[in-house]
Amino acid sequence: MSKERKQALWGLIMVAPSFVILLVVVVFPIVQSFVESLRGEDGTYGLSRYEALFADKGMRANIWFTLQITVVSCALVLLISYALALYLRFSPGKTAAWIRRTYMIPMFIPGVIATYGLMNLLGNHGWLSRLLLPFGVTLPRIIFDPKGIVIANLWFNIPFATMLLSSAIAGIPGSVIESARDVGAGRLGIFFRIIFPLSFKTFLVALTFVFMGVIGSFTAPFLIGENSPQMLGVAMEQVFGVFREREQAAAIAVFTFLLCSALGFFYIRSMAKEEAARM
Amino acid sequence: MLLKNKNIAGLSALTLALAVLAGCGSQSSNSGNAPSPSAAEAPPSSSASASSSASGGDPVKFHFYFTGSQNVKDLWDTLIPMFEKENPLVKVEEVYIPSGTGAEPTYDRILAAKKAGKGAGDIDLYEDGINYVTQGGKDDVWETLSTGAIPNLANINEQTMNDVANLAVPYRSSAVLLAYNSDKVNDPPKTLDELLDWIREHPGRFAYNDPSTGGAGSSFVTTVIYKDLPPEAIHESDPAIMSQWDAGFKTLKELGPYVYGKGIYPKKNQGTIDLLQNGEVDMIPAWSDMVLQQQSENLLSKSVKLQQITPGFNGGPTYLMVNKLSDKKDAIYQFLNFVLSPEAQEVIVNKMNGFPGIELSHMSQEMQDKFKGVAEGFRTFNIGDLGNEINKRWQSEVAAQ
Repeated sequence: MSKERKQALWGLIMVAPSFVILLVVVVFPIVQSFVESLRGEDGTYGLSRYEALFADKGMRANIWFTLQITVVSCALVLLISYALALYLRFSPGKTAAWIRRTYMIPMFIPGVIATYGLMNLLGNHGWLSRLLLPFGVTLPRIIFDPKGIVIANLWFNIPFATMLLSSAIAGIPGSVIESARDVGAGRLGIFFRIIFPLSFKTFLVALTFVFMGVIGSFTAPFLIGENSPQMLGVAMEQVFGVFREREQAAAIAVFTFLLCSALGFFYIRSMAKEEAARM
Repeated sequence: MLLKNKNIAGLSALTLALAVLAGCGSQSSNSGNAPSPSAAEAPPSSSASASSSASGGDPVKFHFYFTGSQNVKDLWDTLIPMFEKENPLVKVEEVYIPSGTGAEPTYDRILAAKKAGKGAGDIDLYEDGINYVTQGGKDDVWETLSTGAIPNLANINEQTMNDVANLAVPYRSSAVLLAYNSDKVNDPPKTLDELLDWIREHPGRFAYNDPSTGGAGSSFVTTVIYKDLPPEAIHESDPAIMSQWDAGFKTLKELGPYVYGKGIYPKKNQGTIDLLQNGEVDMIPAWSDMVLQQQSENLLSKSVKLQQITPGFNGGPTYLMVNKLSDKKDAIYQFLNFVLSPEAQEVIVNKMNGFPGIELSHMSQEMQDKFKGVAEGFRTFNIGDLGNEINKRWQSEVAAQ
C-alpha cells in the first residue's frame, strides 16, 4: 500500500465516528421527518402538509415574522459584536479590561432564568420602568412584543459572536494595520479594506451560528413573544404538542431546516473555495 | 497527492456541512419523533416481576406511575406510607416523572407493551388527565372499574364516573376560579355575563392565559364558548357540536381589545398569576390550588381573593387508571379503595388545596364547611378531543385576529 493511500485510509477512519454519529442523530431523523411530513390527512403521500403551511394565514405570518426577527437579530448581534471586538482589540483602557473579563457571563446563565430576568427588568411594571418613573419616562411595551424577542436574542448571542470575532481580529498582525495607518488609511478604510476581509471567514461562522440559534429559538419567544404571530419554534411546539399533528409539525421542521440549509450552503461554499485556493 | 488531498478536503467539507445542519436537525428530530423514554425513566427491571408470584406472606408489589409538580409527589409520599401501614401485604412502588419530562412516553410504553404482547409493561397504575383516559379508552388499555371490587367508588358522583365510562377514578379535582385583587375590586362579578361586562368596563385589567398552555385560560375560553349552549353540551364529545361554537368565538374575539395589552394572552397558568401579583391586571381565571398554595408560601399577596361564578368555570379532575393487563389488580383495587376513603381524601384536600374526588356529603363536617360556597356550581367538562379543536380555532381566530 502506498503512503498516500495509507494516509487517505487513516483520514477516513478518523472521520468515520463523527460521520456515523451525524448519520444517526441528524441525517436519519431529518429523513424520517421529511417522510412523515409528506403524509397527508387522508394517509396518502403528497405535498398537502406544505400547502397547508402556506395556505394558513396565521402560519404565513409566523414564517414572515420568524424571518424578520432572525434578520434583525443577526444584523444587530454582528454589528454590536464587531464593535465590541474592535474596541477590546484596540483600546488599552481599564474599561476594556473589565469588559473583557465579564462579557462572557450571559453564556453561563440558563436560558429560562435569563428570560424571566428580562421579563422582570423590562416588563410593564418591571425594574426599568420603576426607575424611570420619577423622570416621567414611560417605556414602550417590550415584553410580549417583538422588541423583547430581539433583546433576548442579543443577550444570548452577543457573547459568543464577540468571542469568535475577537479571536479572529486578534489574529490580524498589528504591523499590517500600522503600516496602513502610516500610508494614511482612515479608520473606516482600515476596517473595510483590512480587518473585515481578514476576518470574513469568522464573520461567516458567527453569522451561521447566530442565524441557526435565532431561527430555532424557543424559550425566549415562547415566554416573551406575542400569541400571534409566533416564531416557528413556538408554532412547531404548539402544532406538535398541543394540536398533536405530527405530520404538520414535521412539515414546519423540514421547512425551518431548508431555511437553515440555505445559509449552510453559502457557508460551505465559502469554506470549500478557501480549501481550493489553498491547494 | 493532489487528488488524494482533494478527497479528504471533500470529506471534511461534508462533515462540516452536516455539523452546520445539526442545529436544525435537532429541531426536526424533536418534532418528528415521539421522544423515547430515556434510560433514567426506566423502571428498576430487576424487581419487576419478582413479586407477581407472591407466596404466602410476601407483599404484592405494583408500580404506580404518576406525573405532576412537586406537590403531587409530596401528596403520594404521604398517602402511600399511610396505606402500606394499614395493608402490610401490598407494596406500592411509586415512579414519579416530573411534569413535562415524560408523561407521553409513559403512555406510549403502556401501549407498546400491550402491542408487543408483554402484558402491563410494569406500569400497573397510572395517573393523568382526561386526555389519556379517552385515549386509553380508544386503545382499550384501561380496566373497567366497579363498586364490586372497589366499594368506595360509590362515594364518587355517578355522572362523573359515567363521563369516563368507569375506566378511571377521578380521585381529586381542582377548579378554576376567578382570582381578583380585593384592593382594587370591591364587588367581583358573580355570573359569567357580569364578568364579561366587567371586562368591557375595565379595559386592560383582565387577562387569561393562552388556552393551549394552561387549564385556567382554557377553562375561561371553554366556559365562554359553552355559555349559551344547553347544559348537557359539556358532556358531549361529538364533533357535530362544533357548529354551535360560533357565537362563543365571536364573543372572545370581541373581548380581544378589552383584555390585557389589547390582546396579549400570557403563556402558562403562572403567566397570568404573575400579572395579577405585580398589579398589571386586577382579575384573572386561575386554578384554586395554585392561588391558595402560593398564598400560603407568601408568593402571592393575601389581598388576592377567589370567586366562583355561575355558570361555573370547569374544574379538572385528575384520574387514576388501572392497566387492563396488570396481574396485580386485587392489590391495586385495595389501594384505590383507600385513596377514595374519607381519611385519604382529607389528606388530599389539605395537601393539594384541591377538591376531594368523592362527594362532599361523604366528608367530615369540617370539610363540608370549608367548601361551602366554593364548590357550588363546580362543573366537570368532558368534551374529549374537542378541547384541541377549541385551541386550534382560538389560535387562528382569536390570537391571530
